[in-house]
Amino acid sequence: MSVGGLLVAVLQQVIDGVFLGLFYAIVASGLALIFGVMDIINFAHGDLVMISAYFVWLISTYLNIDPLLSMLLVLPVLFVLGLAIQKGLINPVLGKEPLIQIAVTVGLGFVLQNIALGYFKAEPRGYPNPVFSEGLSIGPFVIYESKLLSAAVSVLVLFLLDQFLSRTRLGLAMRAVTDDRSSAMLMGINVERVYLLTFAIGMVLVGVASGLWMEMGQVWPYLGTSFSLVSWVAVALAGLGSIRGLAVSAVIIGIAESMGSLISPSVKMAVVYLIFFFILWFKPRGFFAKR
Amino acid sequence: MTRSTLLSIALFQAALLAVGFLVSGNNYYMLLLTQVALFAAFVAAWNIIGGLTGQLDLASSAYMALGGIVTSLLWMRLGLPPVVGVWVGGAVAAGLAVLIGIPTFRFGVREVWYALMTASLVVILNNLFRYFMGPWDFYLPNKWGWLYLRPRTYFELFIIVDVVLLAVILVNIYISGSKIGYYLRNIKEDELVSEAVGVDTRLYKLIALAIYSFITGAAGFLQVVIYSSFSYRLFDAGLAISIAIMGIIGGLGSISGAIAAAVVFRALGEYLRSTLGGVIPGLDLLLYGVALIVVGILKPEGLAGLFNQLRRWWRK
Amino acid sequence: MSAPDVVLRVENVTKRFGGVVALNDVTLSVGRGEIVGLIGPNGSGKTTLFNCITGVYKPDKGRVFFMGRDITGLQPHEVAKLGIARTWQKVRPFRNLTVLEAVTTGALLRTDSVEEARKTAVEVLELIGLPREEWGRLGSEITLMEHKLVDLARALATGPKLLLLDEIAAGLRPHEQERLAEVIKKVWSDRGLTIVVVEHVMRFVMSLSKRVVVLHEGRVIAEGPPEEVASNPRVIEAYLGIKPV
Repeated sequence: MSVGGLLVAVLQQVIDGVFLGLFYAIVASGLALIFGVMDIINFAHGDLVMISAYFVWLISTYLNIDPLLSMLLVLPVLFVLGLAIQKGLINPVLGKEPLIQIAVTVGLGFVLQNIALGYFKAEPRGYPNPVFSEGLSIGPFVIYESKLLSAAVSVLVLFLLDQFLSRTRLGLAMRAVTDDRSSAMLMGINVERVYLLTFAIGMVLVGVASGLWMEMGQVWPYLGTSFSLVSWVAVALAGLGSIRGLAVSAVIIGIAESMGSLISPSVKMAVVYLIFFFILWFKPRGFFAKR
Repeated sequence: MTRSTLLSIALFQAALLAVGFLVSGNNYYMLLLTQVALFAAFVAAWNIIGGLTGQLDLASSAYMALGGIVTSLLWMRLGLPPVVGVWVGGAVAAGLAVLIGIPTFRFGVREVWYALMTASLVVILNNLFRYFMGPWDFYLPNKWGWLYLRPRTYFELFIIVDVVLLAVILVNIYISGSKIGYYLRNIKEDELVSEAVGVDTRLYKLIALAIYSFITGAAGFLQVVIYSSFSYRLFDAGLAISIAIMGIIGGLGSISGAIAAAVVFRALGEYLRSTLGGVIPGLDLLLYGVALIVVGILKPEGLAGLFNQLRRWWRK
Repeated sequence: MSAPDVVLRVENVTKRFGGVVALNDVTLSVGRGEIVGLIGPNGSGKTTLFNCITGVYKPDKGRVFFMGRDITGLQPHEVAKLGIARTWQKVRPFRNLTVLEAVTTGALLRTDSVEEARKTAVEVLELIGLPREEWGRLGSEITLMEHKLVDLARALATGPKLLLLDEIAAGLRPHEQERLAEVIKKVWSDRGLTIVVVEHVMRFVMSLSKRVVVLHEGRVIAEGPPEEVASNPRVIEAYLGIKPV
């Protein structure tokens, strides 16, 4: 490959990495919200995205509509599912040892994966009639409509989330709990209710993520594992307390992963992992943390 | 070691060997029993870092695979007999584990990062080994004998695995009663208090990690022997999680509970896989997941807690 | 006070959390064999000061000396090894250890032999007068008062020269507080210890110490004999809203 060709290839990966990163930002924002507010270590987050992606796929193939439209139908379902999971699984382990929390959510992830495997089987599923499948050529670069559309939705949702957290009563209460749990209780915030709604909103973000993913790709039972990993790395890189910081971190990771896949698809996760390793080594509290 | 501990170990060994003799005529059951015993050994080793120390390690299969592959390669490439090679395999696994433990075990770094580091380690090594080894199965040389830890009959292999299992149980019991054990249990209870009474929490966590990963790496070769081959698929995230799950279901820190869970669930899982596996894939793993949730929410003391309760109830 | 008689010296220690200044240029000394009371309203920085001394936090500015040695920024276990032990304001229960095991762990700091450590633990438990039938109980099975005593015993078992007691009387009934004060005096004279007592229950401090340091909003605002400090207008002002019992 010539130097110019290589440069184009690298820049193309950067572009794709930004798109990927914006998607990761949505996945990670749900995780960070739940982790920050409830201090619960959720290892099933990616698997929830996976299950939700199957919902999107079912609706899209059944009604023959675009995944982003199916997503809108899935969101209320996830909100209710979030309330149920919070009541049934998360509340009983709140405040328990981290190991028990991790165990329960790992168990949930295992259950979800194997339900998906049993019901949908192992082969990847995607929406067969995508509308926005064209690639736009801009100079030597190719940008797919589906990715562009997903990125636009990501940015919009991140913006709304940021506004929600800084403008609304519930959002401010959530931030107050993240910053200082005991003071928040003293200030008369109904922490139980905040927890419940936080998890439900986190699940809505899971739903958004699943819609974005199905717009761009396919779902299979083990899809969630890497999502969980990547979003935790994004949280580690960003620290808690800033949606913007999280978005930047997620994009950095997306670019890193995308560059890694330039070498080989099987080493891309290794690149992400190395980043993770170095963050923990040098900056265990994250780069954008407010605390 | 108390008399009752000694007695239970003797009884357990007698029962295991008796079953071994009973099924020694049937290769399928013999192999199954060997698998279950080896799985129990991995769970018992995990108990040191997970059960005693309270660190959720999800990389058991990574250390196992790494140790097994290093031992195999030393044999195939350099002619180093596995009876020596397993020590190197264990050391390599322990070296990698400690490298990961150093940043994540720092005082004040949250537990979640260790769990995550180890969970992703399996995935990463899986990817890297697929990249460098390709998707192929590598078969062990056609050499048999004790020198290669590769006996001619399944029964003898079972005996080797059984010795390993016994050794791991004894290591567990020894650690439990020593200063290290006291410190590890305190770290699991409360790291801050442990530091304040002079426990170098990072050092002791690293010691626990090194012992566990060394045993797992060294015993990993036996897994390769059972398959007669190795591939990148040995880095199996599901297996690593299953091992941790057994330790948790068994009741963290209770070696008898951990082994009971390993034996019962592995045998049950194997049964489900062989009967319903074609119809509903993943049913055994689904069951593990459900068990984990139930134990985590209702009974964090696990099977060991259940045993104790039954014992109390019996005495009434 | 000449240098060897100063067990603990805190020099100009400042600690911030985000924008909040928890400790602001705090300086104090504790002499050998003293029982010093450290009082102040909630949030005045008492526990933060303990955490800076014991290495849980690293001060942003200033230094901490123990027996003339600079211990600023050491890890908590290193500080413990040098001879500073502490108890905890919030009970930190141990669920799966027995009382004897918990105290034995403390004693393991000075020996590698579990047998020997157990002997030390037995001595300490006898010294603080915890009945023998409690020793086999798990942390989940004992009362608050017993927890406080075990916490104290575990700290003593590490063989400290300086003992830091963080609101050890909090949550106890008056007669229990009296008994605890007796126990503390007993171990103080028996072991020749130096003790710093953090409290906001003034009476408890007054029964123990001859010298009291008052912290308010991260600053030392008064220092001296308890009676004098209790009538200091600045102290009364700081405590306004919290009754000086």
